[in-house]
Amino acid sequence: MTNQQNLKYLAFFLLFSSLGFSRQVFAHGANIVYQYKQAIEVKATYDDGTPMSKAQVVIYAPDNPAIPWQKGTTDEEGKFSFIPSSDVSGNWDIKIRQSGHGDIISIPWQTDQPTSVVESQENISNLADSTYTPMQKIVMAASGVWGFVGTALFFSRQKSPS
Amino acid sequence: MHIPDGFVSPSICITGYAITGGLTWYSLQQIKKDSNPQKKIPRASLFTAAFFVASLIHIPIPPASIHLVLNGMMGAILGYYSFLAILIGLFFQTVMFQHGGLSTLGINAVIMGIPALFAYHIFRINNQSQTRKKIWTQVLAFCAGTGALLLSATLFTVIIITNITSELDAQAEINAIYLSLISYVIQAIIEGIFTVMLISFLEQVKPEILKQ
Repeated sequence: MTNQQNLKYLAFFLLFSSLGFSRQVFAHGANIVYQYKQAIEVKATYDDGTPMSKAQVVIYAPDNPAIPWQKGTTDEEGKFSFIPSSDVSGNWDIKIRQSGHGDIISIPWQTDQPTSVVESQENISNLADSTYTPMQKIVMAASGVWGFVGTALFFSRQKSPS
Repeated sequence: MHIPDGFVSPSICITGYAITGGLTWYSLQQIKKDSNPQKKIPRASLFTAAFFVASLIHIPIPPASIHLVLNGMMGAILGYYSFLAILIGLFFQTVMFQHGGLSTLGINAVIMGIPALFAYHIFRINNQSQTRKKIWTQVLAFCAGTGALLLSATLFTVIIITNITSELDAQAEINAIYLSLISYVIQAIIEGIFTVMLISFLEQVKPEILKQ
C-alpha cells in the first residue's frame, strides 16, 4: 500500500468520523414545533350516565372502513380524543365497547371547508341526537306502555251479545 | 344484555333470526292447542309492557348498574306466550331506545327467549306434582327466575367471547366480561326474589293464572 493510498484512506476515515461526530453534537439540540389542529373528542356513557371508563375504542377512517385506523382506550371519564387525517373527509366511524356493551357512532368530517364554529356545533348536535332527555324517554316509555295496555284491554273486552 | 348492531358477524345475526323464526312458529303451534288462545293475550301484553319498561329502570348495584330482564318471571307465568312477548318487547326497545339492534334482534330474542321457555318448563314441574306445597312453588319460582337470567347471561357471554373481532384487545374484553358476570349473579338473585314475590301474590289473589 503506497503512502498516497494510505492518505486517501485516512482522508475517508477522517471525513466519516467527523461527520458522525458532528451528528452526535447536533443531536443534543432539540426542536419542538407546534401546530393547532382540530380534534374530535368522544365521550361514552352507559344509559344511566356512568362513564364507560377503560373501554376499548376502535376508529375507522372514511377511506377504509374495514381496517382500524387507530385503537385506544377511554379515560376514567369515558372520553377519548383523536385527530383525523387532514386529507380524508367523510364519515369517521368510532366503535366503543366494553364487556359486550357499546355502540358505533359515525362522525361527519370535512377537510376542504374552513373550520368554523358552526361546523363543530353541528357535530355536537349530531352526537346529541342519539340520546334523549329523561323527559322524552318517560313520554316514549309511557306511550309504549299505553300501547301494550291498550292491546290488553282490547283482548279482554266483554263480548257484546249478538 | 342486549347485543347492539355491528358487534357480531352477519352469520350469527342470520342464525339468530333463523332460530327465533323456528321458535316463534313452535310457540304459535303450542298456543294454538289452547282451547281459547286469545284468553291469555291481555296477560301477555301486560307482561310485555313490564319487560319493555324494565330495561329503562336502572338499579345501581356495584360494580355496575343493572336493569331487570324479567324473562324468568314471564316464562313461568306466560308459558309459550313468553317467547312472543319477549320478541315484541325487544323490537320496541330497539326501535325506541336503541337497546340492541335490528340486525341482532334475532340473536337477542334467542338470548332472552330460550331461558324464558326453560323457566316455563321448570315451573311446570309444580303443576305436575299432585301435592302442591307452598314452599315447593316458591322454590321452583326462584329457580325459574334465577335460572333463566343465569342462562341468558351464559348465552350472552359465550356469544360475545366467541365473537370478539380481531381489532379488539381480546384479553381486556374477556376480563371486562368476567367482571360483569358478578353483577349478573346478583341480578339473577334479585330476579329470583321478584319472581317468588309475584307468584306468591298471584297464588293468593288469582291462583288460576298459575295453572297452565
